[in-house]
Amino acid sequence: MIFEERQIEKNNFSSRATLLFGFIILVLIAVLIKVFSLQVSGYSDYQLAALKNKNYAVPVQSLRGEIFDRKGRALVKNEPTFDLITRPNLILDIDSFLEEIGPVIFLSQADKLKYKKLQKEKAFVNKELVLKKDLSAEEIARFNVRSFNFQNAFIAKRYRRISDYPLIFSHVLGYTSRTDDDYQSMPEIPRSHWKDAELSYAHGLIKGRTGLEQIYNDHLSGKHGQRVYEMNARGQFVQPLSFFEPVKGSDLFTNLDIEAQKSAAKYLGDRKGAVVAIDLESGGINVLYSSPAYSINKLSNGMNEIEFQDLINDPDKPFFNRAIQGRYPPASTIKPAIGMYGLSKNIVNWDFEMKDPGFFTLPETGRVFRGWRKGGHGKVDMHKAFLVSSNTYFFSLAYQADIQELANHLSSLGFGQKVCLDCFDEDQAFIPTPEWKYSTMNAGWVKGDTVNLGIGQGYLVTTPMQLANYASLLATKGKFLEPSIVILGNQKKSKKIWQDNGFDNSDWSKMHTALLGVIESDYGTARSIRDLKEFKVAGKSGTAELVSLDSKEAYQEVRTSELLRDHSIIITFGPMPNPRYAVSVVIENGESGGAVAGPVAIEVLKSLINE
Amino acid sequence: MNKPFQKIYFDPYIFFSLFLLSILGLFFLFSASNADMSIVFKQFIYVVVGFIVMILISQPDPDIFRRMSGLFLIFSLLLLGITYLFGPEINGAQRWVRIGPMSFQSSELLKLAVPIFLAKFLFDKKLPIQRKEIIISLLIIFCCFFIVFRQPDLGTALIIACSGLLVLFLSGLSWSFIGGSIILLIISSPFIWNILLQPFQRQRIATFFNPESDPFGASWNIIQSKVAIGSGGLLGKGFGEGSQTQLNFLPETETDFIFSVIGEEFGFLGVLLLLSIYLFLLLRCFYLALSARDRFCRLVIGGLSLTFAANLIINLCMVVGLLPVVGMPLPFISKGGSSLMSLFIAFGIIVSMGTHKKFLPQ
Repeated sequence: MIFEERQIEKNNFSSRATLLFGFIILVLIAVLIKVFSLQVSGYSDYQLAALKNKNYAVPVQSLRGEIFDRKGRALVKNEPTFDLITRPNLILDIDSFLEEIGPVIFLSQADKLKYKKLQKEKAFVNKELVLKKDLSAEEIARFNVRSFNFQNAFIAKRYRRISDYPLIFSHVLGYTSRTDDDYQSMPEIPRSHWKDAELSYAHGLIKGRTGLEQIYNDHLSGKHGQRVYEMNARGQFVQPLSFFEPVKGSDLFTNLDIEAQKSAAKYLGDRKGAVVAIDLESGGINVLYSSPAYSINKLSNGMNEIEFQDLINDPDKPFFNRAIQGRYPPASTIKPAIGMYGLSKNIVNWDFEMKDPGFFTLPETGRVFRGWRKGGHGKVDMHKAFLVSSNTYFFSLAYQADIQELANHLSSLGFGQKVCLDCFDEDQAFIPTPEWKYSTMNAGWVKGDTVNLGIGQGYLVTTPMQLANYASLLATKGKFLEPSIVILGNQKKSKKIWQDNGFDNSDWSKMHTALLGVIESDYGTARSIRDLKEFKVAGKSGTAELVSLDSKEAYQEVRTSELLRDHSIIITFGPMPNPRYAVSVVIENGESGGAVAGPVAIEVLKSLINE
Repeated sequence: MNKPFQKIYFDPYIFFSLFLLSILGLFFLFSASNADMSIVFKQFIYVVVGFIVMILISQPDPDIFRRMSGLFLIFSLLLLGITYLFGPEINGAQRWVRIGPMSFQSSELLKLAVPIFLAKFLFDKKLPIQRKEIIISLLIIFCCFFIVFRQPDLGTALIIACSGLLVLFLSGLSWSFIGGSIILLIISSPFIWNILLQPFQRQRIATFFNPESDPFGASWNIIQSKVAIGSGGLLGKGFGEGSQTQLNFLPETETDFIFSVIGEEFGFLGVLLLLSIYLFLLLRCFYLALSARDRFCRLVIGGLSLTFAANLIINLCMVVGLLPVVGMPLPFISKGGSSLMSLFIAFGIIVSMGTHKKFLPQ
């Protein structure tokens, strides 16, 4: 090549090399800008992402608060048990480990198999694994002596939720049961981390399912803590980084009374029924008992499927809380309410007298409504009508009532609505109205329906809770507090006042005198319980008929089937003249209100008053 | 030159840059391998051997490379053939040939052989280069590319093609031909996508354009790499303190993604320092290319140093998410003897060609 050509070639090379090297430098600058945008502008996002990669937070279960009765005695508490926990990653030979620990801790073949199955997986991720739950005192002692041999195992405290009265308080306290996560209470911990939670309860993560445990779940739960682990890309725990202690849940102080609840259970025995008692000073519910009951200890700490199915399929329905869900006709216990209606609407007054022939004939159709006593009670005024529980008197009073007004009146007394502030799944029962009958039965409301309402039969149904609420309204002459199980600050409870211009203080006094007479006078229908106590008690008993019959003879036939026998009902309050407690009792198929339900009510009152 | 051993051919700038890169590389590798001393020691041996090889190679006169270039290319292709027939299969690819205790990735040699041979083929041709020469050059390039591509090793194949094309370009390929080729490439791109690319290669490219589509699958690598670099911040988390690296969230920390380790543990300043060394090295090569004694040396220095640069920027662009993931180590830093050795040989040749001067005009 000649010199000129060489020069051209050299210039050509130089310009092309400059172009390429320039391009390379531009790309390097672009990379630098990109790195800058990642490391400086995007720093906080990527730092967070890196932390999210490696930080694995697990919840540390908080202990639930305990529940106490009104005297500060524990109803539900956390009882420590001891579990043997292993660190599978430190166990080199699982068979020799199990052989070594065999003489110290009793292990069934099934325990061993289950443990072996999980061991490898947990060892890989450096997690702990429970070998045996609920160690006996001997096992603990044996292990402690030899613990230096077992660097890969330790004993840890795990609690159980235990009540010393698992049966009698089952419905009101309710039970807890296992839950997969408690994500709602701690959304900062992802759902998938909950399976690694550090547990405080042997039963795992638990949550209130019924009763107070459910209603006050948030109050009782406390706040879970958390432990943050450093985790590598394969999901292995490398080291713990930080720990936030859990906060124990708040205790719950209730108005419940162990002794009174015991009395209710004892005197109700194995009969089906319910007892509700209310402290008139505070509106506090002292007794809320439903029979039959079930063991909350078993349910809260793991019940096997067969036992659970047996409870569910039991024809006596132990899970059914009769005290707040049972629907019963109020029968004669409704008579004070009907009387209040008649007086306030000026349909009758205390002096009005009528003849009770033992039946009432409906003028429109000639249909006969019978009293409970053949031949009747002779001349009756309102006072006597309460004492002897004259059906004829209240039939004829109800006959003159306006059903809409009467329904409103019953509603003002708490019927047909939830009355308890903190009962779990309370039923509101039912007050019938013409609209209801027309829409559901496609039939018009007839006078006979209203007449039946006068003695608490027919479509009207109430719960024992509503009856107790009604009893406390009667006892306090219309100035009572909303019933609640838990002791609440005054600001949270509203005073309920029932008043009517047509029903004044003298009416209230006469009403109390009459209801006192039901138990304390020689003529009262519930006089059989008069001598069971030292104090005076007012009340009204009732016998709810499950089948409508015309004669005693017919009933004798019916009662051969126990489930068709009458329900026995009573509402009481005492001690008179300044009542402190109101009690309602319903005994299913118990027959004859005063004599059967009465003694239970009296025993509950006695244990409340005598304490 | 009557006394050949009186002068040692040596470029202090290149030597110093490579020394710094190698030392930093060992340092980074220690952290990237979770403090595995055996890996670092092995790499250290490669570095030492590499420096010796580089100094030895830079001594002879550049003419020897010109004379040997044909033989070298044939030797490289033969070695590749042996690998293809007898080499062990690792991760679905046959890339390695065993020589005693060492295994060598034979395709690395082609990265050197192709540009040197093309430089020899083109250095005495008249400007502009004739069609016949272009076609022969392209044929050589394509053959070498295709053989490596079938291994399959897309990264190395691309670098080999790149090295040949760079030499072709530097030797004076006409612009009209370049323009035509680009149009042809665009037209044939669907064919390349559907027939030439392996499914996993297609997925890598798809992932690149939509990395969030599959955060735990194919795009895991690039997401974790960005998180590692981004979380390093300005100053980095400190040596051995990068959680992405140490807890194995970052993949391939010792090889392809070692730059992310540097970004995480040494931050933006560390990256700046590293890139400055590379830039300095490249500028020195640029200078040597321009001042080389003849056209052959210019083409070889330009071809080899730009191939090195392409290798570098493809790796950088990949780990910061500017390019799809292709297997490509970070030169002088990533673990791996073969690539390190071929780099030292390349720089040995560059130094030889940059330092031997002919004072007699031809």
